[in-house]
Amino acid sequence: MFSSAAIQEIEDIRAKYPNARAALLPAIYVAQREFGWLPPEAYEAVADLLNVPKATVRGVATFYAMYKQKPMGRHLIQLCTNVSCMILGAERLVDLLKSAYGVEPGGVSPDGRFSLVIMECIGACGTAPAMLVNDDFHENLTEKNLQEILEKYK
Amino acid sequence: MITVTINDKEIKLEKAVTVLEAARSAGITIPTLCYHEQLERYGGCRLCLVEVEKMPRLQTACTLMVADGMVVRTETEQIADVRRGILEFLLINHPLDCPYCDKAGECTLQDLVEKYGPGKGRFKEKKRKVPESLQDPVIVRNMERCIMCTRCVRMCEGPQGASAIAVINRGGHSHIEPFSGGRFDCEYCGNCVSVCPVGAIMSRLHRHSYRPWQVKEQYETVCPYCGVGCTVITQVRDDVIKRVIPKLGSSVNNGMLCSRGRFGYEFVGDNDRLTTPLIRKNGVLAEATWEEAITLVAKKLSEIKIASGSEAIAGIASPRCTNEDNYVFQKFMRAVIGSNNIDTTARTGYAGAQSFIENIFGQGATANIISGLANSDTVMVIGGDPTTVNPILGLQIRACARRGGNVLTIGDFAGLSKFSPKKLLPGKYTETILLEAIVTALREKKGLSGSNGPLESKIKDISVTAADAAAKCGVPEQQLSAFVDLLAGAATYSLVIGKEIVQSTGGSYKLLLLAAINYLANGRIYMLTEKANEQGALDMGCAPDLLPGYRPVAFPEFAKKYGAQWHAEISEKPGLNLFAMIDAAENGSLKAMYVMGENAVCNIPNSGRVEKALKNLDFLVVQDIFLTETAKLADVVLPALAWAEKGGTFTNMERRIQLVRKSVQREGLEDWKIIAEIAKNMGYGMEYVSSEGVFHEIAKVSPLYRDLTYEDIGKGENIYPYKGEPLRDVKEDIQVDTASAVASAGKLYLQIERPLFHSGTLSTRAASLRNIYPQAVARISSATAKALSLTEGDVVNVRTKAGSLSLFVAIDKDGDSSAVAISNNFERKGAFRLADYALDQVTKAPCIDAVEISIEKVTA
Repeated sequence: MFSSAAIQEIEDIRAKYPNARAALLPAIYVAQREFGWLPPEAYEAVADLLNVPKATVRGVATFYAMYKQKPMGRHLIQLCTNVSCMILGAERLVDLLKSAYGVEPGGVSPDGRFSLVIMECIGACGTAPAMLVNDDFHENLTEKNLQEILEKYK
Repeated sequence: MITVTINDKEIKLEKAVTVLEAARSAGITIPTLCYHEQLERYGGCRLCLVEVEKMPRLQTACTLMVADGMVVRTETEQIADVRRGILEFLLINHPLDCPYCDKAGECTLQDLVEKYGPGKGRFKEKKRKVPESLQDPVIVRNMERCIMCTRCVRMCEGPQGASAIAVINRGGHSHIEPFSGGRFDCEYCGNCVSVCPVGAIMSRLHRHSYRPWQVKEQYETVCPYCGVGCTVITQVRDDVIKRVIPKLGSSVNNGMLCSRGRFGYEFVGDNDRLTTPLIRKNGVLAEATWEEAITLVAKKLSEIKIASGSEAIAGIASPRCTNEDNYVFQKFMRAVIGSNNIDTTARTGYAGAQSFIENIFGQGATANIISGLANSDTVMVIGGDPTTVNPILGLQIRACARRGGNVLTIGDFAGLSKFSPKKLLPGKYTETILLEAIVTALREKKGLSGSNGPLESKIKDISVTAADAAAKCGVPEQQLSAFVDLLAGAATYSLVIGKEIVQSTGGSYKLLLLAAINYLANGRIYMLTEKANEQGALDMGCAPDLLPGYRPVAFPEFAKKYGAQWHAEISEKPGLNLFAMIDAAENGSLKAMYVMGENAVCNIPNSGRVEKALKNLDFLVVQDIFLTETAKLADVVLPALAWAEKGGTFTNMERRIQLVRKSVQREGLEDWKIIAEIAKNMGYGMEYVSSEGVFHEIAKVSPLYRDLTYEDIGKGENIYPYKGEPLRDVKEDIQVDTASAVASAGKLYLQIERPLFHSGTLSTRAASLRNIYPQAVARISSATAKALSLTEGDVVNVRTKAGSLSLFVAIDKDGDSSAVAISNNFERKGAFRLADYALDQVTKAPCIDAVEISIEKVTA
């Protein structure tokens, strides 16, 4: 179930739109944050709160790649491997993530701490390689500072 | 006037329609896949592209509105080329499994590819693979075949209003899924099956059992389940119903069906059907010949008539049988037996409530067109969920909500909850004061018009302030006044009354209050009816006090007139009603009973007592299609033909009379024919050649149907008052029963669950409906479950003063925490086994809302 803060947040979102369906995308995003991913209960919770059919909620969510359809680690690493990042060693960072934390692209580390998703360009080519951890942006990554940064995410 | 030219043909149109509709009206076919006349326009499949002069590109005919002077071409080389291209794209993923697919032969895609090509695809890539989903009991989903026209989704979200399915994923991976991904767990209306143009969503019932072209016969008939009387088409092969589909354009259901109508037909060919008469010999029912059985019945009834008098014999007619069956049966009771002891289970609610309403507003007050609900601006619902009792009527209320109408409910009805109803939720047994407050407030707002004296004199006596009501029933004053404002502001108001009001303590007083609201808001009344021909059975005179056409038997001139037509003397003494019959059987004054097409034990409250009473009879005849729990008690069981095996007429809740057509041939006798044979054996000639012959007599005898013929009925649209003469309105003083009940805190009460998937015990004989809803359960709220530490699936004993049952627990998270809801559909496990009752003094309906119930876990 949702926390009362999340319920309030979704109700605030709802108030900004002319109808409940229009509020689905941001509301599902709140649900994903609350549940970590989108299990059936998350859809049901959104459906109940917005009075939108649950099948419709699921249909909308599955259209978009950034809604997570399977369990995720506690923290989501989204690492770019496009041209600039690749040239500056992003692929070595992928290897490092695997050896240090046991997490492969698209997977979850065995301890459930990290999920890794390979991103297309996140617009940080000038400061490549770059990644997002949850909502935080990190740039000028090296094999050294990557682990330091990730230590902050337990 | 708009003039358009399509394929060089000039078409004149009154109003702007789409190019597609204009073409169709002129007999020009434009191919479509995503278009369906019942659904919102979509413009997704691109097959209806047409050339329009002065427009740069091809246009979709299904979305383009005609304009004056438009010149359209629908079949050119360019168009054919484009269509071929679109079909080639669709066939990238659509498997070429037509030889195996049930849809082949009526598949739009197959037909189009045959017409436009391509003969060969150019794509070398592999087709997508999605396993066929057989996880559901009645619907098969094969998503390889899906072409994403979204007709099913638009049907489910639109006309059906269930929103159980949606498009999942994106692009080439997209397909249609119910929320669970496997089982639909929906309303199982199957309307998605109707609209699927390919073999992606199909009925599981006839899977791989025939090809569409092997259906040699199909018959337009009436659904056997509820009082809506949907027009259905039965498709038959080798005297087996293969499929039941709705009729597009029918004025009752226009292409829509519910789960019972679509999937509930299998009872007809069930192996448990009775095939020969049975006679009790040495305590056991043994097979007998027709001759033995009929002679025995005639002999025993004659003996009892001589020994104990006509009034020692009673008959129960059937709201499942045709008008013809019921007419002949009541005539048999009156003219041959000589008694007015004839009634039906309509007495458990519908009959008394209808005559109560008609006594206030005049005959035919409840004969309103169902589709009118969708056009009402305000609909108020009380006493039952219309979307489960009369599902197709429920859809009209949903349609009203979708069109922006106000749906007001007193009570919480799950089937309407997604349609933003304005709800008033009075505490248990406090509906009366709430209704009184509504009447008071509405009277103050609207005033009295003076057109109905007796009712107004009652209305004047009612005075309850909103504050008073709020204190007693727990509905906030503000909510109440907003509710009344909507009623007062309604231009076209409709009131839907369910059986729970009629079967509640003080039911007739609540009906009076509802009538008052209806009068003040100037509306129409709809009464939910659970069985197909409840109305017809009443029209035919299957009532202890009324002859066919509602002529009171107590008026000597009517008894004489009918007697003269039937060549017999008709008793002027009203007979025993359903409940009095049971009393009389119990105390021994009733010696024999003839039950036609009714599972009396299950369908009369306090089943245990009914069972004992029937056992107490000297002679019981049961005529049915199954060996029901009632038939098992009989001395003689007579097998009848079922709904699809005979012709006749049904009269629905709108009082629309419709033809039931014979779809399959089966050896046996119609109900009316069996009775006619017995009458003949008792020395009374009943020489009917067919059901049409019976109807011919009905039209002569009953002033309600004067000069009506099967030919008229077959043309459709025969709505009350037909060509007949309703009886003049008799405005008697309005009597009411103001009994009331008080809820004790912490007590649980029996509630009758009226599930969408069952109707009477008949539907439990249909395998597919049983697969959806397999057994009786005790449905409790999560609060009750927590308090009693029960979990879903636990076995419990539920006990009332009348009896006890052992049932599985089902937990309903939004359920009423003072109720244990049990359905009355499963033999020996029905709620009526637990339901003791007192009769409402006016409507004579049983009040079964005050049955205390205890529930305890059975430990293994």
